[in-house]
Order: sequence, then C-alpha cells, then structure tokens
Amino acid sequence: MTGHDAVFLLVALFTGGAALLTVTSKNLFHAALFLAATLAGIAGVFLVLRADFLALVQLVVYVGAVAVLFLFGLMVTRAPIGREALDGQNRGLALAVSGTLFVVLSGLIIQSFGGVRAAEVTGPGIREIGIAIFAHWVLPFELLSMLLLAALIGAILLARRESGESGEESVERRIDFGDEPSTEAGAQALPAADTAGELPAGEPVAGGER
Amino acid sequence: MNSWVELAWLVPVLPLASAVAIASFGKNLPGKGSEIGVLTLVAAFVVSIGIAWETFSAGTPEPFERAVDWSPLGGGFVFELGMLVDGLTAMMFLLVTTVSLMVHIYSREYMKGEPRFTYFYAMLSLFTFSMLVLVISNNTLQAVIGWELVGLCSYLLIGFYWEEKSNQDAANKAFLTTKFGDVGLVVGVIVLSAGMFGTGTSTPFNIQETNAAAMAGELSTGTIVLGMLLIFLGCVSKSGQMPLHVWLPDAMAGPTPVSALIHAATMVTAGIFLLARLFPVLAQSATVMAVIAIVGVITLFFGGLLALVQDDLKKVLAYSTVSQLGYMIAAIGVGGYTASIFHLFTHGFFKALLFLGAGSLIHAVHSNNMSDMGGMRRAMPHTFWTFIVGSLALAGFPLTAGFFSKDEILIAGDLWAGQGFATGSLVYWVGLAAAFVTTFYMARACFLIFAGENRSHHAPHESGPQMVGPLMLLAVLSIASGYLLSPFSSQEFNFENWTATPFVEDATYPFLDAGTAAGGDTVVAAASSLTLAAEGGEFSILHGVPTWHPDLLAIVLALFSIAVFLAWRFYGKGLPERDPTLQMGAFSRVLVAKYGFDDFGYRFVVVPVRDTFAKWASWSSNVVLDGIVASVGRGTKTAAMTTYRVLDQRVIDGGVNGAAFSAAWWSNRLKRIQSGDVQRYAGALVAGTIVLILAFAAAR
Amino acid sequence: MSLTGPLLLATFLFCVGVYGVIARRNAVLVLMSIELMLISVNINLVAFQNLLFPTEVAVSGHLFALFIVGVAAAEAGVGLAIIFNMFRNRASVNVDDVDLMRW
Repeated sequence: MTGHDAVFLLVALFTGGAALLTVTSKNLFHAALFLAATLAGIAGVFLVLRADFLALVQLVVYVGAVAVLFLFGLMVTRAPIGREALDGQNRGLALAVSGTLFVVLSGLIIQSFGGVRAAEVTGPGIREIGIAIFAHWVLPFELLSMLLLAALIGAILLARRESGESGEESVERRIDFGDEPSTEAGAQALPAADTAGELPAGEPVAGGER
Repeated sequence: MNSWVELAWLVPVLPLASAVAIASFGKNLPGKGSEIGVLTLVAAFVVSIGIAWETFSAGTPEPFERAVDWSPLGGGFVFELGMLVDGLTAMMFLLVTTVSLMVHIYSREYMKGEPRFTYFYAMLSLFTFSMLVLVISNNTLQAVIGWELVGLCSYLLIGFYWEEKSNQDAANKAFLTTKFGDVGLVVGVIVLSAGMFGTGTSTPFNIQETNAAAMAGELSTGTIVLGMLLIFLGCVSKSGQMPLHVWLPDAMAGPTPVSALIHAATMVTAGIFLLARLFPVLAQSATVMAVIAIVGVITLFFGGLLALVQDDLKKVLAYSTVSQLGYMIAAIGVGGYTASIFHLFTHGFFKALLFLGAGSLIHAVHSNNMSDMGGMRRAMPHTFWTFIVGSLALAGFPLTAGFFSKDEILIAGDLWAGQGFATGSLVYWVGLAAAFVTTFYMARACFLIFAGENRSHHAPHESGPQMVGPLMLLAVLSIASGYLLSPFSSQEFNFENWTATPFVEDATYPFLDAGTAAGGDTVVAAASSLTLAAEGGEFSILHGVPTWHPDLLAIVLALFSIAVFLAWRFYGKGLPERDPTLQMGAFSRVLVAKYGFDDFGYRFVVVPVRDTFAKWASWSSNVVLDGIVASVGRGTKTAAMTTYRVLDQRVIDGGVNGAAFSAAWWSNRLKRIQSGDVQRYAGALVAGTIVLILAFAAAR
Repeated sequence: MSLTGPLLLATFLFCVGVYGVIARRNAVLVLMSIELMLISVNINLVAFQNLLFPTEVAVSGHLFALFIVGVAAAEAGVGLAIIFNMFRNRASVNVDDVDLMRW
C-alpha cells in the first residue's frame, strides 16, 4: 500500500460516509448538504486520480451549481424542516436490492480486476483534453450544447407559472402549456358561459355586452 | 478559383440553401420566396454550365474526386461524403439545373395564388437538392441518401394538394412502390460493398473503386449478379419500369410543374443514372444485362401502348415517360451506355417541355382531359408550336433531338445483335414498333388538343411570359441538344467523349469473345455501315460518333408518316364520336385496365396485407369448417345429443367457467403488482438487472 | 495505485444511490440519489483512463466523464422543473402520492 493508496482511502471513506448520510439523513437540508459534501469528495477522488480538470469541473458544476439548485428545489417545494418520515415503506426492498447489487458487483470487480497490477497514476493535461474535445469530439460536444439548450428551454416551459395560478390547486386541473388562453381569461369567460344557457344555440356568446 | 469543377459542391448546396431560406423567411418577401429559388437556381445553373464546359472541352475528362471522411465507422472502413465530377455528373448537373430552373420560373405564374406557394417553392428546391446529392455522390451510400431524399420530396410534392383523398393515396402509392424497390437498392449496395471488403479497401462504397475492382475481376460473379440485380430492382421502381411503373401515372396528382420535374430531371432519371454510374460493374455479367434489356423492352412497348387509350393529357405523357424510360433501360441492357444517357439527356428537355406545355393548356381550360380541349392552335399559338416541337422530338422525327438519341439506342441494339445476342435484335425491332406507337399517340394528342373546335367551357388564352418563356427555351433545347451526338458532331468533342469516364473507355465485356463478333444473321443492313470503335475488333462500350443510316431513316420516316396519317384520319376532324383506340375489343379493355397491374397490386398486395387474417379466417370458417361440420355434424348429431349432458354441461362448461374464474382470480392477485409506486418498479428493475448480471457472469 | 479501490468506491456510491432512489419519499431526494448514481460512474471512467490507458490520444474516459457531467446537469434541471410542476398540481412532492398509473 503506497502513500497514494492511503490518501485515496481517506478521501474514499469521507465520500462514502457522506453519501451514506445523504440517503439516510432525517433532515432534508442536511441531506442536501451531505450531497454537496459527497460531490466535493468525488472531486477529491478525481484529484487523487490526477484528473485535475475534471475535479475543477466537478466542483464548479456540481458543488457550485447542482447542489445549490437542489437546495432551491427543497425550499421552493416547501420541504418540511425537521424530522419526518422521509423514507417510504420500501426501505426493506431498497436495502435488499442495493445490498445484493453491491455484493454482486464488488465480487465481480475483485474477480476481474483484482489481478491487475498497481500502476503509476498519470493523467492527461488540460492541453490534451482541449485538443481531444475540439479534434475528436467536436460533434458530440456540439450535441451536448444543443442538449443543454433544450433542457434549459424545457425546464423553463415546465416550471413556468401561468399568471393567475396559485400553488395549491385541485387535482383535476390539467397541465396548461400556454397555447390555451390563460386562466385569467378563462375566469372572465366563465360567468358569460353561465348566461349562455338562455341564448339560442350557435350564437356567439358576447359576455362583454350583457 | 482554379476551375469550375472545384466549385461542383456549390451545385447541390445552393438549392439546399434556397430551400432553407425560402422555408424560413420566404413568406415575407414580395415574391413569396420564389425569387430566392429562381436566383439560386440561376447561380447553380451558371456553375453547371462552367463545369459542363470544362469537362466537355477536355475530351474524356479525368474524374475529379474530393471526399471528406464523414465518420470513422470502425472495422477499418470509412464512410465518405464526397463528390465525383466527370462528364456524366456534369451532364446531369446541366440537365437537372436547366429543367429545375425552367420549372422554378414557370411555377411563378402557374402556381400563383396557391395558399401554399412558399411551401411549394421550398419543396421544389429541396427536390432539386436531393437529386443533385445523388448525382454528385462519389459513393453508393451517399447515393442512397440522395435517392431516399428524392423519394421523400416526391411524396411531399405528389401529395401537394393533400386536401383530396385521391392525391394522398397517389402520394402513398408512389412512396410505397418506390420504397419496395429501395429495399432492393439498399441490400444491393450492401452486397457490393461486402464484395469490396474482400479487396481490402477502406472505402468499400466508393463508386470508382467498385468500378475498378469489377473490371479487374476482383469481385466474384455472384456478388456482381446479386448486387446489380438488387440495385436494378431499385431502378425498376424509381424509374417506373414494369411491373413497378404503377405509381408513375398516379403521380400526376401533383401540380404539373412537379410532374415535369419528376419526369424530366429529378426522379425517374435516378435509376438510369445509377445504372450508368455502375455500368462497368454490370457489364461484367451477361445475365444482368439480359435481365435489364428484357425489362426495358417490355416496358418500352407495353408502357407505350397504355398511352393510346388515355384521355387525361398528363397520363398520356406519363405513360410516354414510362415507355421512354424503357428505351433507356433497354439501351443499358444492350451495351448502349452512351445511347441511354444521351436519350436521358434529350428526353429530359422535351419531356419537360411537353409537361410544361400541358400545364399551360390545363391552366387555360381548367381540365386535364383532351376531350375538353380542341382548337387550341388559334388561342394559344406559342404553346402550340412548342408543344408540336416537343411531340416531334418525342416521336423521333428526323433532325430533332429525340431522333438522334432514339436512333442511337436502336443502333446500339443492332450492334449488340451483331455480337450474337437476341436481346439486341429485340430492342431494335420492338423499339421501332414502339416508335410507331409513340408517334401515333402523340399525334392523337396533338390533333385532339389543337385541331377542331374548342370543346372547353372557357375562353382559352395564351399564358403569360413566365410560362411561355421556359417553353420556348426548352423547345430550342429539344432540337439543339440532339446535335451533341449526331453525324454532324465532331469526332473529338461530342456527347460520348463528354460523358465517358476512363473506366467506360477501357472497359470491355468479359463475357464476349473477340471471335464472336462476326455472327450477324440478325443484323439489319444498318450494321454494315458501322465500324466497331475499338481497334483490334474488341467490342468496346463506346460506339463512336454515329453515321447516317439511310435505311433506318427511311423506316423511321415511313412509320412516322403512317402513324400521323392514321391519327389524322381518326382525330383530324376533332373528337370522334367513338374513339377508335377504345373500339378494339379485348385489346382496349386490357389497356384501359392497365394490364390489370393496379388491380393485381390491389388484389394480391393491398388486400392480403390489409386483411390476410380476416380472409383466411373467413375462408377457413366458410369452406373448411362448414364443409366438415355439414358432413360430420349430421352423423354425430345423435351421439352428440346423448353426450350433451355429460360432456357439454360438465366438462366443457366446467372447463370454460373454470378458466374464466381462474383468470379472474389470478388477475385480482396480479393487478396488485401494478401498484403505481415508482419506487417499487425501480426496485424490481434493479433486481432484474442483478439477475441479468449474474446470468452473464455465469455464462462467461 | 491499485485499480480496485476506485472501482469499489464507485460501486458503493452507485448502490447507495439505488438505495436512495427506492427508499426516499421526497422527490427531490430521489433526484439527488439519481445524481449520485450518475456521478459514481465518472469515477470508473477516470480510473480506467488514468490507470489502464494513460496514453490514449482521444482521452475518451475524461471526455465521457465530462459529457456525463453535462447530461447530469441537464437532467437535474428538467427533473426539478417536473417536480415543481408536480408540487404545483398536487401540493406534494412525495413520490408515493403520485400513483395515478395504478390499477
């Protein structure tokens, strides 16, 4: 066991522990913070593995952006603060399945890679990564930018609140994507529709004139 | 800029840019996008002329090939995206851009006031682009892409007036029929490329390499025969050969300029072009050539006959296209490489002219039917004389373009017969007979339209300059283009040297012994005046500049006069009470029924696919079960009555009810699995994954 | 440095993520667990690249990891938007409340 391995072991213990706390913590906000810690720990793993650029990306994108996004998500959805039944009735199933998966996979990994001789860790520099992105991987890279754009638009479209909507609504309310007139206009039209019963069929309802 | 040839990529890119531009902001322009289409087509046309001039003045030009690696597919081969520019490409460029430009200009007036005018122009440009992609491609895979794009655009344009169900059906029919052949094409391309893999190349789809490998004998006979026959299946469907020609007349549902584009330049020529591209490959096999020749001969004759009984002017022209395409295919099959593409070239011009002229007539009388026309000579003088020029060229009247190209095909057949192939004389004689038929139906159409009294309910008037202008230009081309390969053209600069590639120049027919060239019982007199172009008596693919054939000229003129005279007798006085072509008893009935192909297709393809099971079930229940039950039932009736209580009430009812009860019981239990709890589903998913992992691990 | 260490860590994180996805009620926590599963794969990719194929010119392992980061970010954005919508329509973000697709 080299010094390198020792450092890795420390970082791995930190990361694994934080991950475990993420999924077991009784407090939602603590869980999100533990997730941030896990992500930072993974950045540390990248550093140990000599993937400096990825570690930076990991810190900026995940710890900086995604973790904060989750915190926002928790706040906006009015997550109950404090201890609560955060786990469903599926805990037994989850334990069984994930435990089995871990045992099976780690057994297979040790069987397959246990014999691989320890090697010196060398990583590509940022220069090599840059060349690879813009020489070999231009097309996937551009596709990824398209994907992010699509996700951006999609997220806005999904999360956009129509004017006149409030947080709590009935279960039956259908999802409105903006093609229909907004609920404000609908609310105005409703009383007109009530009076429409007296009108002969087929005549346009002119709510404003009545 | 060093040369025009290097700009060849512009030719397809310009129409694409035009299509995109029209689609994105064409609606806001004063011309509603049509000006973009016309202008870019003019630019593409200029580039095509430059390329044509450069390749033409070079004798047999060296092919100019440029390609980029589109993607490394692994397995050691590369999919190229590239261009191959030689005389054949230049010729197709010139044809496609000219006809497309004419159609673009023409449609400005013809389609005026259409609600989907801009969409129409975008599609028109896209259609042109698709065909040019096919033409420029240096590998078969890219050609397939262009081919499919052509099919898609034709579908969209044939169904342009999609409000009517019949037009939708026509579009679907065209798409499905050609798609049937496309399957053959794709498989054929794969077969050829698989053969190319054996030669160790990294670009197995490259056309030039395929040609070279085939000529060097590196491809096995099985590969060539199977691959080329499958590719030919694609050409049969795309180029409207029997029996897959059925979509072509129905494709008349589209606007007339689209018909002109489809029939002259962009769609049906694709198959001929592809065969010409791969000619050195198919020249390796006598079987392939014989099959191609026979299909072509059948189509050129029987397709032409169908035109006799049509009243719809566009359908007459459609069947004439089928017939003329048959000529081209047949020419390929009898070694008439140059003859075939020369006919493709000239036919493009005069068929575009005829269709656009027909459009002009239809525009004036608001009807497709010739029985609604009549007397148009006075009302539409320009349309009249241009249409007559087109008809003369189509009928092969001497000194028109159609005459030179069609004679070239007949002589190619004659030369082939001189090599001892029966298909050669078949092409020669059937071709002559079909020329008679062609003359007759075109004369019939001309008399019905232009002679006699006006039978329409409108006062027809001549179309505007944007429609008449293209007609006149195409009329000039319908005559002039023939002189590129005629006894008048020079030995050095002619159509043959222009479109020949070095491969075609060097290629010979390996199945031909140099010694068999002598046998010539079936050779008509014309052959004696011909000398084989290649030295040493080897039968070369190129035939050299044609000479005059007085005997053939005499036959053609005689047939022409007889046909025109007959047509004048029947139709010269206007529409006869009883159309003689419909008075020939069974013959007419067969023609009107289109040989029953459509019916056949409906009965044996559509119906079985639609309700195979229903038919089978009803047949089995009506015939088989009824029969069995009727005979056996009577005998077993008494026995059945006695066992009724035991068997039916107890066993069968019990069984049936039991099955139902158990099903209900089980479904009540099983439905609980569908708890709607995503997390349980996720757990099940992972559990399944674990099982799979274990299974794979155990299998190793 | 031995290869099994990072691989086992990645496996552990993945399985923790699986546990979270199945056991947690709050949809945001489920999404966080999914992120955990996604990111754990990156450790594998980087480890394979830097320990087994350090000289590969295309740097596929790192680039795949980068792409996964991008995809995961997109997924988090869209996922949270869906959760907001769910919250707005049902006033709850508990996944076991959303069982319209049951029998």
